Amino acid sequence: MDDRLSKALDFAKFRETLAIQRKTLKEKIDSKLTYGYNGGIFKIDRSLIAFVEVLISKQRTTDVPLIDANDNPVLVDDLVKFQSEILDRYFTATFEYLKEYEKIKKSRTVEKLLDL
Amino acid sequence: MTKGVLIFAHNSTAVDYGMLAIIAGGLAKKHLKVPVSLVADTGTLAWMKESKTITKAKKIFDKIISIDLPYTTNNRKLHDGLDSQTIPFINSNRCTAWQLTPYDTTLLIDSDFLIFSDQLNQYWDIDSSVMIAESMNDLRGGRERILDKKVSETGIHLFWATTVMFKKNNESKFFFQLVEYIRDNYAYFADLFRFDSRQYRNDIAFSVAKHIINGFETTQSYTLPPLTTVFDQDVLIDVDRKGKLTITTDFENSGDYIASTVQNTDIHIMNKQSILRHADSLMRLI
Repeated sequence: MDDRLSKALDFAKFRETLAIQRKTLKEKIDSKLTYGYNGGIFKIDRSLIAFVEVLISKQRTTDVPLIDANDNPVLVDDLVKFQSEILDRYFTATFEYLKEYEKIKKSRTVEKLLDL
Repeated sequence: MTKGVLIFAHNSTAVDYGMLAIIAGGLAKKHLKVPVSLVADTGTLAWMKESKTITKAKKIFDKIISIDLPYTTNNRKLHDGLDSQTIPFINSNRCTAWQLTPYDTTLLIDSDFLIFSDQLNQYWDIDSSVMIAESMNDLRGGRERILDKKVSETGIHLFWATTVMFKKNNESKFFFQLVEYIRDNYAYFADLFRFDSRQYRNDIAFSVAKHIINGFETTQSYTLPPLTTVFDQDVLIDVDRKGKLTITTDFENSGDYIASTVQNTDIHIMNKQSILRHADSLMRLI
């Protein structure tokens, strides 16, 4: 096989492994950003965090109905506590995402990507 | 209110489902921190005694529920990488989970679903009687066929009964009775919902039951998260001491493998033989 083609195929394999590792990492982080609360399920994202912050700034802090990821209303009795929980989960997940992503980004071989 | 995990195991001539259940049960117990029970037939339990895996089973399982081996004519082509064999597949009694479970809320899992995170703990208190995995995510990406997403080319959405969570109440009782009815009249429902009746699949029976219970509508209801899945053509290559799994994935039986690693992620490994080859390494993680 031509050397150039062989190198291109090796690189293609590296890119494919890179894509799988990034996809798997994203799915892992997404699952960490799922929060079951009072019979409902919430996706912790920027819009939930911002909306909760707005409600708290308007002094709506107790017995607040929020619409969950399945479009059902869920009563949050203490919104400040709820905010603290979602922020904690958000930062834990995103710091892990950043750390793992940096490791993937710097890897230049399949072995390094897979940490073998 | 009690909660726990339930696993079915019926050994076949080619696969030691008892051992798979020990691995899956041990990992579930470790990561979800809830009790786990096993449902197994007398033959599988006898083999567990003979192979001395029963000691491990007794440590892991809260309860071991012995039942008669269900009758089956179901066969399945099971791959182990590029090799394959057609073997009997004993899966028709999953609808008895409602009667057999010792828990108020049960997470029913397949023995090839390995839990490495506490993600499913978010779902115990969801206001829903029965939740099934919404879909599967191919680890490699892009290999899902239409029959991995729908019961047939023109059919309804396919849920994956690899993970099912249910609360023991009248609604879930009716659901499991309906699954049993669909199983008993599989050819009729295959005609009605246009799926292939030659092999009984729990995924299809559960999907049809869910569709009927929802009033023959595709409604938005609570589901369990998608399953990260590797097909049986893929091979589990290594399990290290930190729980990192190295897996090679194949594309359309070409033997053109791409390696990837997974850690702290729940994973459905359809190549059961490759799980069993790493039974010792996986047991060390429990």
